[in-house]
Amino acid sequence: MELGPIFRALMHNPTRFWLITFEVALTLAIVVNCVAIILEQRELLTRPSGLDEPNLVVVTTDPFSADFAEDEFIDTVRDEDLRRLRALPGVKAAAAIDYLPLAGGGAITGLRALDADGEGQPAPFFEVGIGALEALGVELVAGRDHVESDLRPGDDEPVNLIMTQALADRIFPDGDSLGNSVADPDTGEVFGHVVGIVRQMHNAWPRSSIAGSAMLIPGPPYDQRRIRYMVRTESGALDAVFNELEPTMLAVNADRIVTIRPIAEYKRRYFDDEIVLVKVLTTLAVLLIAVTSLGIIGLTSFSVTQRTREIGTRRALGATRSAVLRYFVIEIWVITGIGLALGAILTYALNYALAHLAGAPSIDWPLIAAGIVLLWGIGLLSALAPAFRATLVPPVVTTRSV
Amino acid sequence: MFGYLIRIALLSLRRNPVLSSLLIAAIALGVAVSTAFVTVYYIYSGDPIPSKSDRLYYVQMDNWNPDRPYSRNRPEIPPEQITYRDMRGIMASEIPTYQSGMFVASLTIHPPKAEQRPSRERVRMCFADFFPMFEVPFAYGGGWDRGSDRNLEPVVVLDAITNDRLFGGGNSVGKSLRIEDRQFTVTGVLAPWRPSPRFYDTHTGASQVPEGIYMPLEFVREFEVETAGNLLIWSDYDENAGFEAFLGSEAIWIQMWVQLDTSEQRQAYSDFLDAYVLEQKKLGRFGRPLNNRLLDVMGWLKDQEVVPEEATGLLVLSLLFLLVCAVNLIGILLGKFLSRAPEVGVRRALGASRASVFLQHIVECEVVGIIGGLFGLGLSALFLRLINRLLDNSGQFGLDLPMVAAGIGLALIAGLVAGLYPAWRICRLAPAVHLKLQ
Repeated sequence: MELGPIFRALMHNPTRFWLITFEVALTLAIVVNCVAIILEQRELLTRPSGLDEPNLVVVTTDPFSADFAEDEFIDTVRDEDLRRLRALPGVKAAAAIDYLPLAGGGAITGLRALDADGEGQPAPFFEVGIGALEALGVELVAGRDHVESDLRPGDDEPVNLIMTQALADRIFPDGDSLGNSVADPDTGEVFGHVVGIVRQMHNAWPRSSIAGSAMLIPGPPYDQRRIRYMVRTESGALDAVFNELEPTMLAVNADRIVTIRPIAEYKRRYFDDEIVLVKVLTTLAVLLIAVTSLGIIGLTSFSVTQRTREIGTRRALGATRSAVLRYFVIEIWVITGIGLALGAILTYALNYALAHLAGAPSIDWPLIAAGIVLLWGIGLLSALAPAFRATLVPPVVTTRSV
Repeated sequence: MFGYLIRIALLSLRRNPVLSSLLIAAIALGVAVSTAFVTVYYIYSGDPIPSKSDRLYYVQMDNWNPDRPYSRNRPEIPPEQITYRDMRGIMASEIPTYQSGMFVASLTIHPPKAEQRPSRERVRMCFADFFPMFEVPFAYGGGWDRGSDRNLEPVVVLDAITNDRLFGGGNSVGKSLRIEDRQFTVTGVLAPWRPSPRFYDTHTGASQVPEGIYMPLEFVREFEVETAGNLLIWSDYDENAGFEAFLGSEAIWIQMWVQLDTSEQRQAYSDFLDAYVLEQKKLGRFGRPLNNRLLDVMGWLKDQEVVPEEATGLLVLSLLFLLVCAVNLIGILLGKFLSRAPEVGVRRALGASRASVFLQHIVECEVVGIIGGLFGLGLSALFLRLINRLLDNSGQFGLDLPMVAAGIGLALIAGLVAGLYPAWRICRLAPAVHLKLQ
């Protein structure tokens, strides 16, 4: 190995050495931090919501006729809407709902177990009609679904509610949720009885730390300002069903504004910032790697040009082409290696700063290791072309011009 | 002298177009990325109404649960909105120059053209003072007057986009528009207005565009409409007792802004608020300690943390990106300058001082910096447009004069950082060595 001569040559003209070292170190720090943020955001975007997302479409109707002030009228329209929606080919299930999961914006209250003291747990809830579990595509793991007799208990009467396992675990840490009651943490008044548990369902705020806490309360409310349905289509039938929905609604009653939107679209809007951040950071990381790679190519070419005569001398003294190639490859390997070692430290430093300034996620060493392998590879690849050019220097160069 | 240096620099750049375009591209890329995120940060953290941001105050009072603070994490802060009844109570004050409670509602608009279907629109329900207080620009007509608030006249103000959609643009003052079940008369059409951040209502998103329609707030009673923004409540009220019971409840959903021009005015208003709350305590309300707060615009934006953490992170990362680009330039410039060593040797031998050689090369770097910076600014504008499109925020981010200056500044700094060492190296060369090689 020519490590000795390589080192001495580097120290003889250290500028290139320091430039590449610094550039590689900085690049590692930035790229690894970008990737850490990207991974965190992607985790947020892709974690399962428990809903049948690809096949859910939301039908929102906003009536503007005075007829809708009457509860009976709303009931009639709602029944007819649901009957026609469920009869559409390609529709698997439909149910009334007030707010939407994954859309940001909903209702929330605080609840605790009836026979326990202490703080209430935040309990986001949806008021839903019969058939909501099927329409949302969530899985019941214990207890039962809502039935007709659950709907519209008298005022201030406890409701029969279905909650997610995650919320049940928060309110009933001992696991005895089913059949038990929940109460208002301030007044101690009974809010409702748990009749069913679903495995998983995200609430209206999938970004939050309590995304998995959700409750389904029998409803839906009489609200003259909005009547809404969750429609679940057969797998892949959403596009076909989509265009049928508005005419179906207007055929029942035309005195309303109808908005049709897949749940995936609500989710995309909710996560707009995260999606853009992932795109921007990906672009930044790719551009940066390209710039650094170009930099290494440039510096190595320059060094090859500068050392043309030395290379010629070595060749004249009997060094083979592969020996020249090996020399440059080992050299770049050493330089990027040192740069990456410094870069690992810099990565932690930058991560510390970003965590404080911008709440960035902390970085695990496997991510740094992956970054090191990647940049080492890119460093070597970038240096290959100029190094090959070095092997083409003929020994005869030495005889010229000195 | 300077003109000569710049001419030399341009000549030198033209001699090796490939290398020169590489240099310019490196700066352009760095400037494009960094300027874009400096701009994003600048717009998020900027002053949306610089002419009077220190005279506009957001009003808060603590009507929250006596047993529990409004915010678990920040127990010292009062609730972030106020009740309707308290808004009515404090609007009786004659101290502020301007004042307006406000909220956003979602209402049904019936377009005048019969072929258009009705639609739901976000409507800002506010008082007459909203427009002069926030210096809202009008293209036609103006806001309504305080009398229209008192007498509940059906008047409405539209923004330019809504006016285009409903009336096909033009001066629509005096035209009639059906909202819910009533006819409203247009009193004014806004000129384009995009305060950023949208400071006056941070709850429905500080990055949001202003609503397209404005009407007197008291129509809330006529339409019995609840807010389309945030509503929080800690105590029950009788939901069957009608809308008045809701308006009289402890539910907070109103944003309240006042303009207080002098410190005496501010003091007087602060005293007024204290007196109001003490009065209410006698009625059995406001069970928590007296905790009124008047924050000015920038104070309120800081309290609401409207600058997303991501914007700060991207700012740091993009400046480091520019640094990497500059480090790259060092390498290229070093190669370029040193390959010119013989020429510099001749210049030195003919009497050029080290300083003038140094200056010549620095000027060359800065010429690269400026050209790269200009390209970078163009790229940056494209970049921001792309981000605008992705975020669907109707052009929130764009370069203005300070940001163009910042971009050029960043380019000059990058040029200097990249050029110092190579220029120093070249001016230190002994002339004789390279003369021999000629």
